[in-house]
Amino acid sequence: MTVFLQTLVAGVLIGGIYSLIGIGMTLIMGVMGIINLAHGQLMMVAMYITLVLFNVLHFDPYISLFVAMPCLFLLGVLIQKFLLNPLMKIESILPENQVLMTVGIGMVLTEIIRFIFSSDYKSVKTPYSSSAFFIGDISFSLPMCIAFGVALIFTGLLFWFLLKTDIGRSIRATAQDKDAATLMGVNTGRITVITFGLGSALVAAAGSLLLPIFYLFPDVGGPFTLKAFVITILGGLGSTVGAIVGGVVLGIAESLGATYIGMGYKEMVGFVIFVLVLVFLPGGLKRLTKI
Amino acid sequence: MKSKNITLIILGIFFLLFPFIIKSEYYQHLVIIALMWVVIGSSWNLLAGYTGQVSFGHAIFFGVGAYTAGIFVTKLEISAWWGMLFGGFAAMLIALFVGWVCFRLRGPYFALATLAGSEIIRLVATNWESLTDGMVGILIIQSFRSKLPYYYIVLGLAAACIYAIHLLMKSKWGYYFVSIREDQDAAESLGINTTLYKNISLLISAFFAGSAGAFYMNYMAFIDPHVVFSLHYISIMAILVGIVGGVATIMGPAVGAFVMVGVQETFRSAFFGVAPRWISEAHALVFGLLVIFVIMFMANGIVGDWGKIKRVLLGTRPSA
Amino acid sequence: MKKLILVTVLLFSLGLLAGHGISFAEDTIKVGIVLPLTGDQAKFGEIEKLSFDMALEEINGKGGIKGKKIELVIEDDTGRPEVGRSVVEKLITKDKVVMIGGGYSSSVTYAVAGVCQQNQMPFLINTGAADKITEQKWDYIFRLNPPASKYSASVEELLAEVIKPKTVTILHENSLFGTSSAKSFEKSCEKAGYKVLLKQGYEAGGIDFKPVLTQVKQLNPDVVYMVSYVMDAALIMKQSKELKINPKMFIGGAAGFTLPEFQQNAGAASEKIISATLWHQVLPFPGAMDYYNKFKAKFNKETEYHGAEAYAAAYVIADVLNRTKSLKNEDIKKALSETDMMTAFGPVKFTNWDKMTNQNKASSYVVQWIDGKLEMVWPKNLAAKPFVFPVNWLKVWGY
Repeated sequence: MTVFLQTLVAGVLIGGIYSLIGIGMTLIMGVMGIINLAHGQLMMVAMYITLVLFNVLHFDPYISLFVAMPCLFLLGVLIQKFLLNPLMKIESILPENQVLMTVGIGMVLTEIIRFIFSSDYKSVKTPYSSSAFFIGDISFSLPMCIAFGVALIFTGLLFWFLLKTDIGRSIRATAQDKDAATLMGVNTGRITVITFGLGSALVAAAGSLLLPIFYLFPDVGGPFTLKAFVITILGGLGSTVGAIVGGVVLGIAESLGATYIGMGYKEMVGFVIFVLVLVFLPGGLKRLTKI
Repeated sequence: MKSKNITLIILGIFFLLFPFIIKSEYYQHLVIIALMWVVIGSSWNLLAGYTGQVSFGHAIFFGVGAYTAGIFVTKLEISAWWGMLFGGFAAMLIALFVGWVCFRLRGPYFALATLAGSEIIRLVATNWESLTDGMVGILIIQSFRSKLPYYYIVLGLAAACIYAIHLLMKSKWGYYFVSIREDQDAAESLGINTTLYKNISLLISAFFAGSAGAFYMNYMAFIDPHVVFSLHYISIMAILVGIVGGVATIMGPAVGAFVMVGVQETFRSAFFGVAPRWISEAHALVFGLLVIFVIMFMANGIVGDWGKIKRVLLGTRPSA
Repeated sequence: MKKLILVTVLLFSLGLLAGHGISFAEDTIKVGIVLPLTGDQAKFGEIEKLSFDMALEEINGKGGIKGKKIELVIEDDTGRPEVGRSVVEKLITKDKVVMIGGGYSSSVTYAVAGVCQQNQMPFLINTGAADKITEQKWDYIFRLNPPASKYSASVEELLAEVIKPKTVTILHENSLFGTSSAKSFEKSCEKAGYKVLLKQGYEAGGIDFKPVLTQVKQLNPDVVYMVSYVMDAALIMKQSKELKINPKMFIGGAAGFTLPEFQQNAGAASEKIISATLWHQVLPFPGAMDYYNKFKAKFNKETEYHGAEAYAAAYVIADVLNRTKSLKNEDIKKALSETDMMTAFGPVKFTNWDKMTNQNKASSYVVQWIDGKLEMVWPKNLAAKPFVFPVNWLKVWGY
């Protein structure tokens, strides 16, 4: 029983971080319909920003979050404006050109970081890095609980933003029907730029929260890109609530898989769920919850 | 038409005589690897470029082919060369399943599903130790000391692959493939069984990728799941070969393969030892920049945009 | 289109011919070194490269080999077998090296060794550890480091003599080195009569090891044995601390547990952990301590056993080139097989034993993190500090 409960708790907590990574992706995929294969790499860049702030200015990673997010917003805006949006005007045979472009962007980001910081593993050591509290026999990792809380807050904020603000409404309109939105006077070019910036900023938050728990090297991003897809598809495109639920479901599934099937199959559980959802529940959990 | 034939003959003679012109085993090795990529890139191109089903998981077929050849040696104790035939068939078997699952999906969803598929099969190969020996990998003894047999085998495979796709694209099937790419619903309404033709395209593509994998096993004599099921170095590389060379062109992936292998080795070896050392650390960066450049300025790849490239290089204006 | 092909062919052949024509003056003896300098293994490749460079400087500073200087052509294999193969083909045919050294990851080392044997090019491996590399009866392949199955030899001694466990759990990363080390450790546990309660492989690079660690906690083994690279190692220990796992001993099977980054990242959770290792600077080998100090002064970072292997390999190469009758491949091979020397890494002599050919019988040792420093604790006669045992983990971790 303890094993089961501890597995569950570990899964839910890691799920919080997964959701935060997934929210950015779901926003980008929902609005632009493109897969962003550089998502994990954007998080990696945010983690390096957090690391530098920690090493040079001794900023706590949770404070650096407020620096990393605007930085990544800017980076996202630049990428969308100068690299992705121009592609819409280029005639090409495959519609997936934007996706392939993000592959290139991911490679370039990784290698630039490698040039600056080398391949060395880096980590930050904070007093709370490996602190935990206990409820009964079950251990709760403190930084993971914080990350979970922040993920919930950001989801709430984003939900409010999309529902109540003008830009938010325009984003949702663009996601629903781009042509109609353009006709209604929405500057969809600008909206895609803002969306990509927002998505990048959200994954930056995930990066800053992850750094105290995890470690950092230039290739750290790749696996998280894959996780973000799984969550996005699981939760449903563009659904913020779906991303939270999807992240937690993925976290729990992975943990249970690791405990009861085998540690080596942990990642596989996620991918199998992913394919099953794609095939049998296209639209993801959003179809069930309608939000 | 005539000058095209002459070009092909010159090209053929060049490649047939190549190992006698260039005796260096180093260059022979590079050309062998490039020819292997010609096969993988062309097979990807058939599915993605011509049929419009962009696969992010070609490592599935490559790896299954390689493992078929390897398991022939370790479990059945027969020559890995049988893998050149059966590796292709094994890849087709897997492709049937992949098609059954993934062809329910379109566009980016298809791409994601194939990507997930390649990760799943990599993890299966890693964990199913009784069959694959897991991460210990499969190791065989090479059949030939000389590079010549390998060279001619892979040259034959590449030529067969390109010629097969050339014939295919001239046939009725080829038109069906392109019509599916252009507008699947329209194709369906014209009475084309799109699921059937997407599967045919996938199966042929998988066969060649699987054969290339079996060749890799024979030639490199060592495989493990991370090498042959690699997302980055096989699946994504296959895409890059295709788009750099030119999607939906017969010779595009061939040109792309030589360009990509050439660029990688030139930078890795720091321009063959002439340039300063740090350049070699930039080879992955150059790869990324090349991809961005090609997509931005040569959306149809080197072959597809050859006219445009020529204009820019020669500084002439486009003739109306 | 046709012109494009023609131009490509022409350029390509021109490039090949040009590359072919370049030749260098023969005032140096060229030795090729294959190491991962980019990619995810670059960290270790870098330590080895610096060590090779340092040794080379010393050797050439003392006059080189019979008046000629050694030139190391260090090439990047990027951690991938087919690239490793390109590298060695280039070294042999273009750079015309007289022998080859290096070899970090087992899969690349194997690919390189195959090419070397076929070309009768002597290859001195200093890190690639999979047993089967020297089990192929390849007479041109020599290995300085012990095979992976022998890495835990001294840990097993320590278990039998001091810790005396009844139960063991094994966690290992899914890699050639991790899987095969775990397997051979499992076998020796069964032979010694320790019960293996759990053996699990995992994908390197995970965030959360708690599911499996919770199981470990439930099983409450006497020994937790882990084969992990550096950052996974640190995470596993940090999370073990979080879960208050309390065995008699945590043991690392070489690889990540001896690196300074392990201690930096795991912090208090690294304290009192023991690990197998192949080398430590306090070993009574001539030059061991000098190498350590010099490396630290020169590059301002720590070195460990991978670096020592490379450093020693450079000296073996110099010794071989000094003794060889000529620079012909078979003469160098003969000189290699007659090697019998002392290095900073220990005695080096290539013999045939078990199923292996040309395999150096290097020993393994046990180190322990004591007060944030890696100290040698086993075998007893070489130990710098006494082995701290038993350990009250909860107290060490400050609970």
